[in-house]
Order: sequence, then C-alpha cells, then structure tokens
Amino acid sequence: MKARIQVVLCKCCTEMPKLLNMEKLQKLAEDSSMVVSVMTVDAVCDGKDLARIVGEAKEREIDRAVVLACHKKDISPNLLKAYRRAGINEFLIELVNMREEVVLPHADEPERAQAKAETKLKAALTRAIMLAPLEKQSEEMKTKNVVIVGAGVAGQAAAHEAAKSGAHTVLLEKTSKSLKVPGVIMTHAQLVGASGYGGNFQLKIKAGEKVEELGAAAVVIATGGGWTTLKGPLAKAVKDAVPLYKFYEHMQSGMVPKGPVVIVDTPDPAGKTMKVQDYAWDDTLETVIQLKKKHPELLVYVIFQEMRAFGLSELAYKEAADLGVRFIRYDKAGAPKIDAKNPIALTVKDFSQGEVLDLKFGTLVFASIPANQDNQMIADALRIPMTVDGSIRRGSIQRWPVTTPKPGIFVCGSALFPKSRELAKAEGEAAGTMAGQFVKRGMIEYGGSVAQVTPEKCSACLTCIRTCPYEAPFIGAANKAEIKVQACQGCGMCVGICPSKAIDLHHYTDDQVMEEARTLLGGDF
Amino acid sequence: MAERKPKVIGFCCEKHGMDAAVLSARSGKQFDASVRLVQVPCTGRVDGIHILKALEDGADSVFVLGCLEKNCYYDTGSIEGRKRVEYVKQMLSEVGIEKERVEMFNAASTNAWAFPEIVSKMVGVAKKLGPIGGEKQ
Repeated sequence: MKARIQVVLCKCCTEMPKLLNMEKLQKLAEDSSMVVSVMTVDAVCDGKDLARIVGEAKEREIDRAVVLACHKKDISPNLLKAYRRAGINEFLIELVNMREEVVLPHADEPERAQAKAETKLKAALTRAIMLAPLEKQSEEMKTKNVVIVGAGVAGQAAAHEAAKSGAHTVLLEKTSKSLKVPGVIMTHAQLVGASGYGGNFQLKIKAGEKVEELGAAAVVIATGGGWTTLKGPLAKAVKDAVPLYKFYEHMQSGMVPKGPVVIVDTPDPAGKTMKVQDYAWDDTLETVIQLKKKHPELLVYVIFQEMRAFGLSELAYKEAADLGVRFIRYDKAGAPKIDAKNPIALTVKDFSQGEVLDLKFGTLVFASIPANQDNQMIADALRIPMTVDGSIRRGSIQRWPVTTPKPGIFVCGSALFPKSRELAKAEGEAAGTMAGQFVKRGMIEYGGSVAQVTPEKCSACLTCIRTCPYEAPFIGAANKAEIKVQACQGCGMCVGICPSKAIDLHHYTDDQVMEEARTLLGGDF
Repeated sequence: MAERKPKVIGFCCEKHGMDAAVLSARSGKQFDASVRLVQVPCTGRVDGIHILKALEDGADSVFVLGCLEKNCYYDTGSIEGRKRVEYVKQMLSEVGIEKERVEMFNAASTNAWAFPEIVSKMVGVAKKLGPIGGEKQ
C-alpha cells in the first residue's frame, strides 16, 4: 500500500527537547519509506505553526499525518479543523500523546524515554498506514418538539429555558393542574412508549383514554418524587401521619399542628437497605425553622439517620438548634419504634448519647420522598437505565449531571433523587437549556467511527442487540443484524462480544489495535 | 547479561481510563517506563484476542483500564470489559499460564493516584513471573 505521511514533532515549547533527542526522532521518521515530510514545530497549539503545518501538507500533497504532541483532547479540535480545511480526512490523522505518556512521567530516565518515544513513533506510523478515511453524515431533525415529562418545579423551569432556544415545548402532566408556561400542556398525560433516537423520537402518549403519537427531538424527564406513597411500619401504626410536603402546605394555610411535632426521616427506619430517598433533606430544616418561628411554644423533634444539607443550608442546622428544635440521630440498631396499640408514643435510642427516649407526639411527619412509581414505566419506554433506588440514572456525575446515557434524553429534579425546590429549579433550567441547545442545532451528526456488520458472517444470534446500550443493532430485512448508524455511539461493545466476529468498528479494527500493540511490544525499553 | 526489562501493555479506554493516566502524569507522578498504552474507545471494545495476541507477542502482563462501573461513559462498557478479562483469565488458567498476568482496573478521570498504583502492580507481576514459559526469577 502506498501512503504519503506527514510527521509533525511538537516541541511543546521547550518541554520535549529537555528529555528527548528530537534530531534522532526526526531522523527515524525520515527513514520510513512512506514519510514524505517531517517537521519540528514549537507548539502545535499555536496558530502560526498550525498554518505552517497545513501549508506544508498541501504543498507536499500528503494524505495522512502523524502528530506527536500532547493529550488528544487538548489539541484535536483545532488541529483536526485545520487539516479538514486542507482537505485531509480527520480520521487519517494519528495523534500520539508524547508529553503525558513519555516526557512527564519518565523525567528521570532519559534513555528509556527516548527508546519509548521511538517505539511510539513506529507504532503510530504502522497504525497511520492502516487507517481508512471515514465520512460523517447528518440528518435533519423532523420536529422542534421538546417533550417534558412532569410539570412540577423542575419541569416548568425546563420549559421556560427550552423555549428561549426556540424549541416547541410539550409538557405532560399527570393531574389536571393548569399552569402558565410556554408551550402546550397535556393534562392527564403519561409517556407509555417510544422509539427512535436522539433528534427523531416517536413517542406514544396516553392522554386521558386515547393514545397519541408525537414526534420529538428531545425528552426531559422531570417526574419528581413519589409524593403520595408512604409505606412502612411507622406509617401503618400511625394512620394520620403526613408527608413533609403536606405538612408544609397545612402550615402555610394557617393550620396549627397538634404538638409535640415529631419529624422522622422515613416510615421504614429499620428496613434492610437504606435508599437515598430515605434521607432527610434540607427542606426538613427549612420547615422546622418556619414552624418554630410561627409557633415558638411547640416542641419539635427531628429524628434522622442521615441528613443532607447542601452548601450554606448547613447553617440552617445551627439556626434550627438555636430556635429550640431537638435533633436526635439514630442508627439501625436503635431505630424508632411505635406500638400500634398506643400510636401517640415513639421509642428511639439516641445514637450520640446512648439513651433510650420515649417521646409523646401529637403530629407525626415523614421527611423522606420516595422514588416516583412512574419512573419504571418511563425507563421501560425510553429504555434508559435506573438506579437500584428506583430513580432515573444519569450518564456521568462529573461530565453531564442532567443527561442520561442516551443522547437527547435529559433528566432533572427529584427524578434523580430528592432535593429542595431551589435545586430542582436549577437542575430543570440546566436540563431545559441542554435540550433547547440540542434542538437548536436542527441536525444530528452521525457516522464516523461506528460499527458495521458483515452480513455474510452474521448468524443473527441477537448478542449485539442485547449488549448495546443505545439499541443501535437490529435484525434487518435479510434476517441479519444491521447497525442503525444514527444511534451508534462508537463504543465497540458489540464488536468485542460478537461470537462470529461479524461486526467491525471503524477506526479501531482488530488489525489496527493488534498491530499497534505488537509494534509497541517490539521496542526494548 | 543486562537485566531483562518487563513488558507491560495496557488497554485504556479513551474516556476515564486515558484521562486518569494523563492526569497522573500532569500532577507530577512518575511511573515505570515499561508500560505501553493502547487507546481503545471503550473497554467493551477489548476483545479476548487482543489480550491473547499481546501475550503472544511478548507482553509479560496485560491490564485493561476503564471507567468506574457505575459511572461509565458508555453506560455498561466497563462491565462488559471486565467480563472479557475474566473470560481470558479463565482461558489462561486452563492452558497453564498464570492468570495474574491479566487484570482489569477501573478509575475515575479525577483519580490521579490510581494509575501509578496500577502500573507498579502490573510491573511487579511481570517482574515476579518473568516471560511466559521461561524460568521464574
């Protein structure tokens, strides 16, 4: 095979020559028969050097390049853009991370580092020859709809933000409450089914008695918590116990609670597993402070195992304690108990003092917000993962806190885990903005490094269909597996698991991976 | 005769795995030079044949580094990767090669301390066991 390769050695200002012999590397690159141009530049990230590289690439009519610089993610956007403008396919550029893999971690061993750098260059050249050009395609989004499931605090915030980007918002609300938000509100509506991929979803919505079909570009899940479900021994023993939000509503409407007020975190404190929903959250503190300010003579107890108060809400602890609220922490062994025959007294062992307390109460309140029962149905419809606690799982806590692993589906508010109104609103705004920006693009780009099936080898065993988290593979008309390119994210899970080796991932084929490994192992360092 | 240098190969996922390696280098950590990193899009991409071929081509030990299982970029990728590695380990023990030579690790992109630990562990294994089929040191 004939190839015209350009090799670019980046000095990374002065970092690389400190440890590596750049002339030797340059010589090694020049010795390769397919290399037509070798350049040493001060910094690839510099615009002037970039222009020089691309100019040389055009002049020598190179068709692929090997760039030895730093971390791929740092340099690739600008570098690939420049090469694309010069007419070179971005999948023919091989980037080698010399700085973080050789120079920085092996500063004490210059000889071994030099040998390693040379081997890495050889491996990159081997891989560069095997690369194939790939094209990305794009498809227009058919609608501008953003469907928001749930019209609570988070859902409304998401609708306002998504509408700012020009998206058509459709809110699905389970009850019949009327709201003032941009877009269409469907009452008594539930999401029951879905097909398609990010950008072009086909949703099935049950509104009242009929089932409607609706196209959507993005979906925001804002189902909130399961407010009405109170299950557990404490809720069974005390019939008139109320959840926190109801207690708060009563308080706002001016009702005086019967004292003393006892707030317990969960109705099932001695349960086997502790879910995130069983914690007491900062709205508990908010409520008791308001209660104490209104009725200072009331005795208020907060009994909890775990309390989560974010940021400055921590200060509310002190404020509440100063107002005379009594906090009692327990652990599983000393969990609060109520005798069903005497449902006005509670026994709990204080974890910090070791004392067993008997408390008489007039009102019992539960602070926990159980997971929404509808989450299961929505997760089944959209086929997104759930957590063990029964809430929707987000993609990555650090990278995308309001995104599910599936592109085009966003999640916010108490659908993730219970939280205060402010936090739910902020998350709703974030999810709404992301959905709005997603729709604003108008196009979905796909292709490039994606999987492809060789139909002759496929035995239609369905292994790839079960493995893929994005539902990209399907059995086509010829009874063979096919890949829906729009849905494929290029992870290659189906490729590794295929028992017939019928699937291949472009840009990371078996040959490319194994040849690179073989060349790297060939070096002695 | 000069001391034989161990050969360790690591298949890193390009999301958290590679980021963890890069971050450890940027935070000034030093690790053994005998490690060779091969980038794959996800540890689910790693096939048994890649690991076995690497061992055949002269690697003393192989590790696969992916995202944390609960926080994987591709949702279930690192769980799939672990399954592959377990399968290869079983295969190795059946043919009489030490299964400690192959190992799967998980790291978050912010775990700068994780990568040097992994490398020193795998280099230790390579030094202890020596080349495949050769005499133990």
